[in-house]
Amino acid sequence: MDVDKKQDIPWLCDKCKKELVLDKVKVRYLEGNFEVELLKCPGCNMVFIDEELATGKMLEVEKELEDK
Amino acid sequence: MDLDKLLETSDRCIHDEPPACTSRCPVHMDVIAFITEMEKGEFDKAYKVMEKRIPFTRIIGSICDHPCEEFCVRSELGGAVKISELEKAAVSYGFSPPKKTIPMPKNKGRVAVIGGGISGMTAASELDKKGYQVTLYEKSSRLGGKLWSYVGTDLKKEALEEELKALVEQGIEVELNTAVDKKMLQELVTEYDAVYLGTGVWEEELQIHPEIFQVGDTSVFAGGKLANKNDSVIFSVSSGKRAAVSIDRYVKRISLSASREREGPFETPLKYETDSIKSVQAVKKEADIYIEDEAVREAGRCLKCKCEKCIRSCSHLSRFNISPKSYMRQINQNERIILGTRYANKMINSCTLCGLCEEECFKRISMKDVVQETRESMVERGKMPVSAHDFALKDMKFSNSKRFSMVRKQPKDIKGSCEGTGETKYLFYPGCQLPASYPEYIEKTYKYLVSNVKGGVGIYLGCCGAPADWAGRQDLMRGNVEKIKETWENMSRPVFILACSSCCSVFEKYLPQIAYVSLWEIFAQHGMPHNKKISDKHVLSVHDACATRHNKRIHDSIRKIAVSSGYTIKELKYTREKTKCCGYGGLVYFANREQAADFVKHRIEESDNDLLVYCAMCKDLLVDGGKRTFHVLDLIFGDDMEKIATRKMPTLSDRHRNRAQIKIRMLKEIWGEKPDMDLERQGDLKIAIPENVQQLMEDRYILMEDIERVIDNAQKNCERFFNPREYSYLARLRIDNVTYWVEYKEKGEEVLVKSVYSHRMEIVEE
Repeated sequence: MDVDKKQDIPWLCDKCKKELVLDKVKVRYLEGNFEVELLKCPGCNMVFIDEELATGKMLEVEKELEDK
Repeated sequence: MDLDKLLETSDRCIHDEPPACTSRCPVHMDVIAFITEMEKGEFDKAYKVMEKRIPFTRIIGSICDHPCEEFCVRSELGGAVKISELEKAAVSYGFSPPKKTIPMPKNKGRVAVIGGGISGMTAASELDKKGYQVTLYEKSSRLGGKLWSYVGTDLKKEALEEELKALVEQGIEVELNTAVDKKMLQELVTEYDAVYLGTGVWEEELQIHPEIFQVGDTSVFAGGKLANKNDSVIFSVSSGKRAAVSIDRYVKRISLSASREREGPFETPLKYETDSIKSVQAVKKEADIYIEDEAVREAGRCLKCKCEKCIRSCSHLSRFNISPKSYMRQINQNERIILGTRYANKMINSCTLCGLCEEECFKRISMKDVVQETRESMVERGKMPVSAHDFALKDMKFSNSKRFSMVRKQPKDIKGSCEGTGETKYLFYPGCQLPASYPEYIEKTYKYLVSNVKGGVGIYLGCCGAPADWAGRQDLMRGNVEKIKETWENMSRPVFILACSSCCSVFEKYLPQIAYVSLWEIFAQHGMPHNKKISDKHVLSVHDACATRHNKRIHDSIRKIAVSSGYTIKELKYTREKTKCCGYGGLVYFANREQAADFVKHRIEESDNDLLVYCAMCKDLLVDGGKRTFHVLDLIFGDDMEKIATRKMPTLSDRHRNRAQIKIRMLKEIWGEKPDMDLERQGDLKIAIPENVQQLMEDRYILMEDIERVIDNAQKNCERFFNPREYSYLARLRIDNVTYWVEYKEKGEEVLVKSVYSHRMEIVEE
């Protein structure tokens, strides 16, 4: 579920006006707890999830966990 | 969940049972596999199918007395399939000498076979293959016995000679010109591990076990005419084979009788419906045996009997191409998994719980009950995929919240209608999806009821709990049922007037103490509010609601309303108690949209006529699938019928809004009440949603109010990302168990939404 590191991301955090950085982020669903590398604001920690990730790999993992 | 009971139910399914021909064949030749090859003209493959079960295939295949044909389901429809003639053709066109096999070491024991006729040859050959040293005693100067009488008619001399020669070459010792009598038998008994007696006649009466062919409790086994008391060739073969099994077990000292059911001919539990099968006469032979083309055509008459009634009529079973038997086995597996993936979850959530399978089943097996119980078990164990039913359950919660739900007695005075009494002998309960789809009809219906039904009619808006029931959520169901019961008590136990078939079925299942009458019965009884009659040339086919498939009063009322409005009814093939589901039932529309679309497609294909339905979701789904469909309320209150027939269903967001607004409007107009301020709350934001985003919202179950909350939070708390290249924002908000994302641009006061998506996974922001 890690994001593509080479991706050119134009988004900034609107509150902190900072560029996003790749960092380990905790995610959880049902019984599953894991760490993935995602983009986030180094100031307020708001995590960025784009549409492709949410409707692709993330959805896939959600479904897998639901069937476990 | 009681899995033993489940497996017992699965055993009742007759899908895998053999056809009558195979079950009645003493050696259980796989007739369907044989015929399938014959039909393709693959005679060599057909012959190989025979070889699997019939020893001395070339001989027996030419002279079998075919007890199978008597039981052929084709018998009454042009005559039994000529299986025996087809076998002869297979022998003629498909015979090839059996491959030479390496003989087994003969170390299992020694057996004497007395009598070189059909049964003796069979027993000797079978025992030889099992690894016994066999000695065959024959009183005459050649083997074959009665088989020689077929030479010249059905058998070629060379063929018989070749087969006999092969038997000897197998390694069986043959003692010709050796008559065995009672005394010699005693000697053989002491000399050999077991003895097979296939002499046709014997000097004394023997006690032969009819299933295991043992004589008393001795080491002697007898078959052929001695055991069968008839001249049947194939029964002779069968007894020789079965006696060889017994001898093998006897020598190995294992149970002679265990697990040998169905070894001989038996009556199959399989049933096959022939109602729609056309009679076709058997193909006539031009010569002694069928020529190739004749054989192919005759094989084509075989019905290949298999019970698939439920699979063929159900869009769910056919999509998964599964019989109830295998389905239940998969559920069993799914339920037993402790660690690992539950592969059957999606299937289990793709059943509409409509109950048609039970109507179609000879054994009345109800997959509806099985799947319902399974879903409840999954929920109890915390193994139900949340995403399958989450949206529908939230929708139910909405329906039972103050934004829609309300209870009112009939007012003392109804504007422009009639004088009310304030009494409430009846309570109109329109359900949740009818007001969501057709809010305008609710008010009209209520006014009609007040004018026509004596004793006073109140109203109760809410959801009966059907979504919770379908989702297996007994916890939610119990609470919901209690609340309805409490309201009923508080209103002095009125009779409910139900407009939704799912409500009817939920009330019958969970609230049997509450008397209800269907709204359609009231219309049928009290007549239409108008005198409109359309041309009787307009033919409608009724798509009955699956939730009330057994409610004849409702079925009749619907037809009466249509006919009294001037329509002509033409019944569908699957109608009334055999009606099909539209695909919404069981929350399949939410759990598996493709599966739901199958239901719509198959139903639509049934008829070219416009459909008449009486469930809001049936209408919405069928119209969505491209079918002109009327709701019965369209016939009663509709005006522009052409437009109505193709009117698309409101969006998920509109379904919320419609419910919220009907409450506000009725409270104002009928009860003269001023609703709470927050019920009328309208967002200050002007949000523009382009068409492509609207579709995304429908596909991703995202509501307008979710979008409003995300944007509202983003603007107030600046919780959003900014894209300086596009000048657009991306914001997220976790609402309950879902995180919603909205990408948008701001244009003055207005917000233009570019995309929406969501995920259930929780991101820990720290």
